[in-house]
Amino acid sequence: MEWLNELGRRLRQLFRRKQWEDDLAEEMRLHLDLRAADKGSEALAKRKFGNAALLREESRSVWGWAFWDNLAQDVRYALRTFAANKGFAAAAVLSLTLGIGANTAIFSIVNAVMLRALPVEDPHRLVALHVGIASDDRRRGAVVTNPIWEAVRDSQQAFSGVLAYSDDHFDLANGGESHFSNGLWVSGDFFRVLGVPALRGRVFTTDDDRHGGGRSGPVAVVSYAFWQANFAGDPNVLGRTISLNRHNFEIVGVTPSWFRGLIVDQPFDVAIPIGCEPLLHTDMSALGHRSWWWLRMIGRLKPGETPEQAQAQMDSIAPEINHATLPTDWPSQLRARYLKRSFWLQSGAAGTSITGSTYKTALFTLMSVVGLVLLIACVNIANLLLARATSRQREISIRLAIGASRSRVIRQLLTESLLLAFAGAVCGLLFSVWGARLLVHLLSTRAKQIDVSVSPDLQVLAFTAAIAVFTGLLFGLAPALRATGIGPNHALKENARGTVQGGARFTLGKALVTGQVALSLMLLTAAGLFLGTMRNFLRLDPGFNPHNVLLVKTVVPADRIQQQLRTPFFSKILSDLRALPNVRSAASSMMAPVAHGFWNQDARPEGYQRQPDQDDVLVNLNRVSPGYFRTMETSMLMGRDFSDRDTLASPKAMIVGEETARHFWANQNPIGKTIALEAPGSDVTYQVVGVVRNAKYSDLDEPLIKTGFVASMQDPNPSPEKYFEIRFDGPAEAVIAAVRPVIGAINRDAALEIRTLDERISDSLVQPRLVALLSSFFGFLALLLATIGLYGVISYAAARRRGEIGIRMALGAAEGAVTWLILRDVALILTIGTALGVGVSLAAGRFIKSLLFGLEATNPATLTLAAVVLCASAIFAAYLPARRAAKMDPMTALREE
Amino acid sequence: MRDEIPPGTLYMLILKTLMRGGEMHGYEIANSIQQISEDILQVEEGSLYPALQRMLLKGWVTAEWGVTAGNRRARYYRPTPLGRKQLQAELAQFQRVNGAIQRILRTT
Repeated sequence: MEWLNELGRRLRQLFRRKQWEDDLAEEMRLHLDLRAADKGSEALAKRKFGNAALLREESRSVWGWAFWDNLAQDVRYALRTFAANKGFAAAAVLSLTLGIGANTAIFSIVNAVMLRALPVEDPHRLVALHVGIASDDRRRGAVVTNPIWEAVRDSQQAFSGVLAYSDDHFDLANGGESHFSNGLWVSGDFFRVLGVPALRGRVFTTDDDRHGGGRSGPVAVVSYAFWQANFAGDPNVLGRTISLNRHNFEIVGVTPSWFRGLIVDQPFDVAIPIGCEPLLHTDMSALGHRSWWWLRMIGRLKPGETPEQAQAQMDSIAPEINHATLPTDWPSQLRARYLKRSFWLQSGAAGTSITGSTYKTALFTLMSVVGLVLLIACVNIANLLLARATSRQREISIRLAIGASRSRVIRQLLTESLLLAFAGAVCGLLFSVWGARLLVHLLSTRAKQIDVSVSPDLQVLAFTAAIAVFTGLLFGLAPALRATGIGPNHALKENARGTVQGGARFTLGKALVTGQVALSLMLLTAAGLFLGTMRNFLRLDPGFNPHNVLLVKTVVPADRIQQQLRTPFFSKILSDLRALPNVRSAASSMMAPVAHGFWNQDARPEGYQRQPDQDDVLVNLNRVSPGYFRTMETSMLMGRDFSDRDTLASPKAMIVGEETARHFWANQNPIGKTIALEAPGSDVTYQVVGVVRNAKYSDLDEPLIKTGFVASMQDPNPSPEKYFEIRFDGPAEAVIAAVRPVIGAINRDAALEIRTLDERISDSLVQPRLVALLSSFFGFLALLLATIGLYGVISYAAARRRGEIGIRMALGAAEGAVTWLILRDVALILTIGTALGVGVSLAAGRFIKSLLFGLEATNPATLTLAAVVLCASAIFAAYLPARRAAKMDPMTALREE
Repeated sequence: MRDEIPPGTLYMLILKTLMRGGEMHGYEIANSIQQISEDILQVEEGSLYPALQRMLLKGWVTAEWGVTAGNRRARYYRPTPLGRKQLQAELAQFQRVNGAIQRILRTT
C-alpha cells in the first residue's frame, strides 16, 4: 500500500505547486547565505552548491509532474478545439453514448446473471456438478435424480462439502387463487456448505433433511426479503408456521439480506429440506424415483485441491453410482447409455439464472449487434477526425516545425479522442443504467419474473472504461498517425488545403466507409431475419385458435381428495363452468397447450413396422375431456370426439393428430386401428376413434410432431391437477371473476392459476420480440451512421476536387458527367461493401440459427432487401454532394484555386 | 585530498546523519556529512536537495518549517519509521558489498 501513500503525496504536492517552488527556493537561498557567511565569499558558496536552476529542475522531476502538466495542457487544448467545433463534438459524443451505452447495458445484464460471483463464502471454490456422457455434448445436463444425489452425497470424497437444491413455486394461499412464492428445495448441508449463517434462528441440519422430515418436523428457512415483506421483520417469526401448497411448515430461521439463493435473477423466498418432499407430493414422491430429474448439485473444493483432482475423484465413483441408481424400467438401450454417464465439474461461482439459461443466445447476439454498432460509430468518428486532421494540417505542421516531437503531437491528438470517448462513456453509462433496467423489464413475464440488480458494479465500470479507451484509440490512432506522418516542410510548402488525403483514388476514409457499409449490411440483414422470425410467429397457425381462451389451472392437495373422487370432481367443475354466462364452451386437459411440457411414450401402432429411427414411434400425448377440440377450435377431420360414454368401463379410445395417422397408417383408414402405449408392467391398448388437425403441442416453434389424445374419463390414476380451457365472449376479466367462485364453491382448497392463452403465448414470444425490436433499432442506427459517414466522405472528396471539377466544367463537361465522376466512387464503395457484407452475413448466419423460426439465415429475400435499402440510402446520401458539385459555378471554383 | 561520495550512498548518508542529529535543515546535513568524514567526503552541496525531495516522496523523511539560531526560516527534516527501515536495508546491503570487496582485496 506504500505506493498509494506515495501517490497521495505526489498529488498533494501537485496542488501546492506554487508553495512548493517557494519553499525550495527559500531553502536553497538559506543554504547559500549560510555557506557564504561561512566562507566569506558568495562566489565560492555558489561554486560549492552547483547549478541551482538545474537542481531545482531535478527536484521537480522527482515528483513526476511533467506528465500531469502535459495532460492538463492537452485537455485544455482539446476542450478549446471542441468548443470551436461544437457540432462535431456533439455528434461524436452522441453516437458514442448510444454505442457505449448499449454495450454497457447488455454487459450489465450478462455480468449480473452470468459473471458476478455469488455473495457466499469463497464462491470461487464452488463447482457445479453436471452429469452426462463424455462424447455427447447434447446429453449433458445440470439436474440429477434424488437417488443420484444421495449416492453422491454419501460416497464422494472429492469435496469438503456437497449440496443439492431445486427451485419450485410454493403456493402460500389456503385455497382460491394461488399466491406463489419462489421456493427452494435444499439439502441439509446447503447453508453450511455455502457458508451462509442464519440471521435469526438457525439454518437446516442434516437431521431436518431426513425423508419425511427430521425431529423438528417440517421446517422452513425464509429469506430476509420475505421476512420483511410477509412478517414486517417481526423478531418473533421463529416458530410461526407458513402454509406451502396447503402444508404447514415451521419457520426456524431467517437468512441474511445479502443471500438471495443460487438463482441470481429469481431470489428465493422460502427454503425447505429435500427430505420433506413426500409431505407435499403424497401421490408419488421424487425421493426414491430414479427418473425424476430435478436436483442441481454443487460441491466445495477442499482447501488446496484443484478441480482436476476433484474431477478424477468423481470419475472414480461414477460407475458405482450409475449402477446403484440405474432406472430399471428403462429400455435396454437407454440403460446402457445411462451406465456410461459421468460427472462434469463446472464453475459454480456465479450460480445459475433464468436469464442465462433462457436468453443466453439472444443476449450474446444482441451484444454482438451493439458491438458492431459501436464499431460503426467509431469508424464515423475516425472519418470525421481524418477530415479534421486535413484542415488542421498547417497547425500540426507548425507545431512539428517549431520542435514538438511527433509523439507529443500524437499524444495531444489522442487526448482529444480519449476525451471524446470518455465523455461518450460517462453519458453511455447513465444511458445504460436506464437501458439495462428496461431490458430486464422487457425480459420479465408474469410467469418468469426476473429480479436482479443490474446497477453498475466495479466490473461494469471496468468494462465501460475499457471500451472507452479501446474506442478512443480505435478511432483516434489512425487519424493521429496520419496527421503527423507528413514532414512539416512538405506540408508547409503545399497549398493551404494540405496533403493528407492527396489525390488518391481509394483513400483511407473511403476504405473505412466501405467497412461501414459491410457491417451495416450485416446488421440490416440480421434485423430483417429477426423481424421475419417474429412475423412468422405472429402469422403462425398453431392449429387452434388462441384468442378468447381462458386457461385455469386447478390443483387440490393430493391428500385432500381421494383418487376415485377426482374424475367426478373435475367433471362437476367443468359442467358448472359450461353453465356460466359468456362461456361458449369449456374443456379440461392434463397439460395446457404450448406450455413447454411433454408426456411422450413409444407406441406400438397396429400393422406398423417400427423403423430404426429413434423417434419413429414416439407419440406426444395429452389427456383431454370431451369438447376439448371444439373449445380449442381444432377441427375434427375424421371420426368422433370423446363423449361421456367413454368411461373406465368402456374400451380405451384415442384421438390422433393428422401427422400420427399419416405416419402410421398412410393411405389407410385410421379409424378403428389399435395403438398400444408401452407402459411398465403391461402395455395399454387404445382404439383410434378420431383424427384431428395437426396442432402445436408443446412449443410454437416445434416441427411437425406426432400427437395423440386420450380421454380424461378413462384415466385409471387421475391426478389432483387439471387445466380448464374456457372459450368465452366479451371481456376476459368478467369471466375470470365468474370462474373463481364457481370452483371455490366446489372445493375451497383448490388452488387456481388463471391466465388467457393469448397472454401465455405472448409471454413465450418474449425472446423473438425483444431480439427483433432491438436488432431493428440498432440496424436502423447502423444504417443512419453509415449513411452519414458516406455523406461526409463524399462531400469532403467532392469539396477537395472542386478545382479539378471546375476545370472539367470549364472545358465543357456536362452536369451529368460531373455527377457521375463523384458517384463513381460511391459505386465502388457500395460494390465492395455490399459484397463484403453479404459474405460476412452468410458466414455469421450459423450463430443466430437457433434464434430464427421459419426462415434460414441465408434467406435470399432478406439479404436482397437489406442490400437494396442500404444502397438506396447510400446513393441518396451521396447524390446530394455530387449534385452540389455539378451545380457549382466553374469560375468560383477556379478563382479559389 | 577530497573524494566524491560513491553513487547511491547519498540517501544512506543523509538518513544516518538525520538519525544521529534528529532534526536538521539542509545546510546542517551537508556540514555534518563533511565534518564527520573529516572533509574527505565531498558532496556537491546542492545535490542534497533533489535527494531530499525524493526522500520526502518516498516517505523516508518528513519536513517542517522552523526557525534557525540566526532567526531565519529553515526547513527541518526528520526521519520516519519507514526511513529507519530503509536505512537498515541500505546499511545491510552496503556492508555486504563492502565486506565482499574487502575480502577480495585482502586475498591477493
